[in-house]
Amino acid sequence: MSTDAVIVTGLFKNREETLAAVQKIQEQGWQVKEVHSPIPDPELARALGRKESKVGWFTLTGGIIGFFSGFLLAVFTATRWNLIVSGKPILSWIPFFVIAFELTILFAVFGNVLGILTQVGLPDKDYEKNYEPESSGSLYGIQVASAPKDVAGLKDLLRRTGSLKDHKETI
Amino acid sequence: MSPLTFETINTTVLNTLSRPGKLYWCVIALLFGGVVLGASCWAYQVLVGVGVAGMNTPVHWGTYLINFVFWVGIAHSGTLISAILFLFNAGWRNPIARAAETMTVFAVCIAGLFPFIHLGRVWLVFYMLPLPNERTLWPNFQSPLIFDVIAISTYLTVSSLFWYTGLIPDLAIIRDRSQGIRKKIFKTLALGWSGKTGQWMSYTRGYLLFAGIATPLVISVHSVVSWDFALSVIPGWHTTIFAPYFVAGAIHSGLAMVLTLSIPLRKILKYEPLITMDVLESIAKTIVFTGIIVGFSYATEVFISWYSRNIIEMETFRWRAFGDYAPEYWIMVVCNTIIPLLYLSRKFRTHVVPLFIISIFVNIGMWFERFVIIAGSVAHDFLPNAWGLYRPTFIEGGIMVGAFCLFFFLFLLFVKHLPSVSMTEMKEMIHKTE
Repeated sequence: MSTDAVIVTGLFKNREETLAAVQKIQEQGWQVKEVHSPIPDPELARALGRKESKVGWFTLTGGIIGFFSGFLLAVFTATRWNLIVSGKPILSWIPFFVIAFELTILFAVFGNVLGILTQVGLPDKDYEKNYEPESSGSLYGIQVASAPKDVAGLKDLLRRTGSLKDHKETI
Repeated sequence: MSPLTFETINTTVLNTLSRPGKLYWCVIALLFGGVVLGASCWAYQVLVGVGVAGMNTPVHWGTYLINFVFWVGIAHSGTLISAILFLFNAGWRNPIARAAETMTVFAVCIAGLFPFIHLGRVWLVFYMLPLPNERTLWPNFQSPLIFDVIAISTYLTVSSLFWYTGLIPDLAIIRDRSQGIRKKIFKTLALGWSGKTGQWMSYTRGYLLFAGIATPLVISVHSVVSWDFALSVIPGWHTTIFAPYFVAGAIHSGLAMVLTLSIPLRKILKYEPLITMDVLESIAKTIVFTGIIVGFSYATEVFISWYSRNIIEMETFRWRAFGDYAPEYWIMVVCNTIIPLLYLSRKFRTHVVPLFIISIFVNIGMWFERFVIIAGSVAHDFLPNAWGLYRPTFIEGGIMVGAFCLFFFLFLLFVKHLPSVSMTEMKEMIHKTE
């Protein structure tokens, strides 16, 4: 897409119309850049060819780090003085497992949050670019890229597919 | 009643965030007064010493730890509703999930205050942290008390992050419909969320993982709380059923608190189209279920002590039912196991007044359960010459009143400033049922 391309956003009132419109727009050879929706929709994601999220890997990594950190913390602290307390062995694996378990959860959540932030792309300072605020509440916004000379045709197509209104912005 | 649409959900929830009236601020002021009373009592205790509380030999674990366990329990059903029922795909959880999660966060914060208060010399709280002293001696990670510090801190962190993550799409809706300073605040809080397809994909995966992680956590946290007692040798505490017994009790009390909060919330904020009677009925049915588990646990405790033929255990349970704390014991039994059975009647579980009143009884019963377990066990342990009784003092009562006021104060602030029903989850629910 050339640098003087524009994005035209059409607003649709429900998921079914949006899915049908995305399909039609793609069939006509336009490139759907993005869809903003009020709720998640796996079918829309498939239609746009989005890849599986990698958040789980962050969570798993966090959990593994947490598990070993918990055990290491308990073992390290217990072996500083080798004091026997209540007759339990210095390295009491069962009590230490409780600490390891809790830290597994804690670090898995830290990993999960990090994964969400990096994969979702938050915080996003430029979210307002090409964004229709109505699409957070109840409508679906489809962003389509177009060359400036084809904008009229694209807008016509959006209207025919059920767009309630459309607007354009230069990239 | 007109069918729910995305727009009616937005309007219903956003209307609750309108400027509150005088009555709201009067209630807030009253609750703040209660918070000040509690804070003053705590300040007095810090200045004079922990002797102003009624705890003395043999009962050194009194109201503060009773309240600690009570509030941790209250917190649990928030995670049950937001995480466990999410994994089970129970649609009725959606309208109450946000309120329940918020309840969890505030309840854990309040629970976390009580060990500080119980310490007396609160400035030594860092002894509980995994930090070495000047001789490089660390806290003992074999101790259930240290398990508890780690578990509660983890629970507070996880439930706060889970709550905030769930709020992000709703914060964006408010941002997009606000002006001026309010828009700036919500713009910051929403982190630039714009509901792109790719964003939703990672978000929903992350949220599902959150729910998956929170589920074993919630079970482990109250199990760890129960081990504060069960890993000792005190009769009445030293029993293997404590972990499941505490988890069931926690869910029982938490669900009752969800009803206590949801019923007025639904009426005052005009949430009837979202929090329907079916939702309240589902909570009531779950309370019957948890009440039966709790009742079974009470019976099992008594059976175990009789079957063990251990005379000290047998005496502890005889004394619980017929000794000095018998009124508290029978309040516990009746409120937690008999009264919730009234929900078996459709008439009781489909009208807000009996629903509300019974939920209050369960809350009272669950507080007394913790009293009976904690104070009742150490008051009457091995040696008759070491037996004694415990009654809370005015200072402990003041702190307890302050804690309740703080909880309702925070919750009332929340319902008028943030969406107390998840708009996004409601939309997903109606989308699935369409």
